[in-house]
Amino acid sequence: MTVLFRRSELHSLAAPYALDALDPREYQRFEKHLKRCDSCAAEVRLLREDAVRLAWNTAAPPPVAMRDRVLMAVRTTPQEAAPGQTAQGPQPHPRAAQQPLPGMRAVRPRPSRLHGLLSPLAATTAAAALVVAALFGVQASRTQDELDQQRTQAREIANILAAPDAAASAGRVSGGQSINVVASASERAAVVTPAGLGNPTNGRVHQLWLMRPEVQPRSLGLFEGDTPLLATDLNPDATSLAVTVEPQGGSPQPTSAPVVQLALKSVGFGE
Amino acid sequence: MQADELLVLVAKGDQKAFEDLYGLVSGPVFGLVRRVVRDPAQSEEVAQEVLLELWRSAARYDPGRGSALSWVLTLAHRRAVDRVRSARAAGEREMREAQRANGPAFDQVAEEVEAGLEREWVRRCLDRLTTLQRQSVTLAYYDGYTYREVAERLSLPLGTVKTRMRDGLTRLRECLGGAV
Repeated sequence: MTVLFRRSELHSLAAPYALDALDPREYQRFEKHLKRCDSCAAEVRLLREDAVRLAWNTAAPPPVAMRDRVLMAVRTTPQEAAPGQTAQGPQPHPRAAQQPLPGMRAVRPRPSRLHGLLSPLAATTAAAALVVAALFGVQASRTQDELDQQRTQAREIANILAAPDAAASAGRVSGGQSINVVASASERAAVVTPAGLGNPTNGRVHQLWLMRPEVQPRSLGLFEGDTPLLATDLNPDATSLAVTVEPQGGSPQPTSAPVVQLALKSVGFGE
Repeated sequence: MQADELLVLVAKGDQKAFEDLYGLVSGPVFGLVRRVVRDPAQSEEVAQEVLLELWRSAARYDPGRGSALSWVLTLAHRRAVDRVRSARAAGEREMREAQRANGPAFDQVAEEVEAGLEREWVRRCLDRLTTLQRQSVTLAYYDGYTYREVAERLSLPLGTVKTRMRDGLTRLRECLGGAV
């Protein structure tokens, strides 16, 4: 009896669920219920389609500058692998898998100038929010300190994205691995995002280097999976970025040939 | 190319496909978010997050479970609702002020932009609902209230609101069914 009552009570939440009108606790209860109830899943899908009809009359053109910001952010944002579990529509807090996408296609090198970012302040704030969202999505469980650190990093990344001379380029190798870079010569900084790099085996790491003529390579840090690295204090005469596989903890100097290398000329360095 | 096909390419890291997808869905996404969030700056922020999330989690889209646009708008709606609720919870009064101040201007802009058939149909079909059905559905969907909050605002029992929401959606389906 109790079970029946609770079931029908849960069932009556289908319409509020379809309208996103449940508080978080009920939302979770209902999602749990959905997993065990096939007929509910079908009904919810139908009700959701109904709810989406309400969005038919709300379309409006987005601000023009938004396009550049989003497309820019896409270049520095790693993607999730296909989910192992099937879900009811999009998840509230997607967790990115550490594995690279098997069919990941690297973009061809294509430098582009970014004059679309209008007000530097507005652009910076919006881009920061975007990057923060991206980082949050990728690493859902982090301590407060780590989150603060990420926010600071996101702000610095946003500064680079919003710089008037920001430019993007990408380098790839045959294995489908690539690095995307958005750099600003005036800020002397770059955001470097690996795609499909993953983590090397045996506890080894991917290390990023700055290459300059007649100078030893300088380490710019270690990659963790496909999380972007922020590279600052870049020398104006830098010619390229390189990624090598190094022993755990990284090396003072590269000990192997680069797996990916990317020339920086097209993004305003090396002059 | 349709949004469904584009999403599949986007899931494989195709940035060109994402640009095309942006062209198709950015208007619906931005418009829906703005309708719910109201505040222009926050709407833009949320819309951007949603579009970036499409890039990040395109692999989650399952064509067998419905159209790409539904999936995208479901995601956009959820994010928009999350934003209004946390803003309300934080007691952001200035946001409500902004809502009141900007409401009519928004609708006007939207009206000018796309006075399409679909827009007209939704309005007509909403008009055909009973007042309680319409209020229950729109307070939840366009204003981001939970059904408990809707019940409180309309001084109705919870059960009644849940039923009105279901009946409202079903009637909307009957009315709009052929107008895809």
